[in-house]
Amino acid sequence: LRKCLISMDMRHLEKSFQEMKRALQNKDTFQNVTILSTLETLQSTKPTDVCCMTNNLLAFYVDRVFKDHQELDPQILRKVSSIANSFLYIQKTLQECQVQSRCHCSQEATNATRIIHDNYNQLEIRSAAIKSLGELDIFLAWIDKNHQKTSGA
Amino acid sequence: VPCVSGGLPKPMNITFVSINMKNVLQWAPPEGLQGVEVTYTVQYFIYGQKKWLSKSKCKNINRTYCDLSAETSDYEHQYYAKVKAVWGTNCSKWVETGRFYPFLETQIGPPEVSLTTGEKSISIVLTAPEKWKRNPEDSSVSMQQIYSNLKYNVSMYNTKSKRMWSQCITNHTLVLSWLEPNTLYCISVESFVPGPPRLTRPSQKQCVSTLEDQTSGLKVK
Repeated sequence: LRKCLISMDMRHLEKSFQEMKRALQNKDTFQNVTILSTLETLQSTKPTDVCCMTNNLLAFYVDRVFKDHQELDPQILRKVSSIANSFLYIQKTLQECQVQSRCHCSQEATNATRIIHDNYNQLEIRSAAIKSLGELDIFLAWIDKNHQKTSGA
Repeated sequence: VPCVSGGLPKPMNITFVSINMKNVLQWAPPEGLQGVEVTYTVQYFIYGQKKWLSKSKCKNINRTYCDLSAETSDYEHQYYAKVKAVWGTNCSKWVETGRFYPFLETQIGPPEVSLTTGEKSISIVLTAPEKWKRNPEDSSVSMQQIYSNLKYNVSMYNTKSKRMWSQCITNHTLVLSWLEPNTLYCISVESFVPGPPRLTRPSQKQCVSTLEDQTSGLKVK
């Protein structure tokens, strides 16, 4: 089963995030709550679940986080929009994999996705969006790790 | 006896200094307290957990650093740390770090570099740096095991021609060929991981000379 690997200029995404990381994370005042971080399952995603988890997390950011986030700082807004557009592009490239039904979702992937949404629902919507944006480094590191050009499973 | 918070100015420039997952919290003394016997107390927080935790070895200390490597050894989690200054019954407010993510922020130390010279070549063998370990007798973990995409930037300098060039490699050996015989070359190597920018630290420069050109010594009878 050849993995669905996305080819994306990760450095650009990481740079965009690094430039707003401190500002975003300083606005997140709930240090005792995390959206992505507690998931040991995220850290040990099986190769066969990578495509599904990538899709689910992209949809989480595109359909919820970016929509719920309200930003006054034009610089941060520009960087968030840049990341959002990149995610839309990645979603398109993964659609090909879905068409060829190589984006199977196991029960673990489905459970992990539901936990992420449950964590998000715990918080007031603006706080949840800010926290999720502040955790983009976790998601980007996960993409980097799981979408390196390696041999398929 | 609880101290009066805010009675002292806060410590400054608090930050994690992290190399190969050895994570040391550092700060500068508060301004305007030169000559005053100030002590410091540190706490740390695991992002997503419930409360701040203390480290007994970093309570009422005189030094301005605290090794939190053991407390932050799960490098896929994120952390905060904070410090306050104490003097008598007065203490400063806490000053806190930003969110610290060891996996993305630790500095990758230089590899071990061993060089073997030939007539017109130098063979370079690299050994990946080791991750910090709790006890010296613990088994070693290479940073390569954590970062499978670890790469090396090899810088080379011909002391005769004053020419410098560099090469990026992923494996651990490199043979420099077509070099000038009997010439001193200096080599330094830096580890790096593609991803968010990190501080880097090149290896100690090592200089070796290629061997004499064997053919030049032959006498035509």
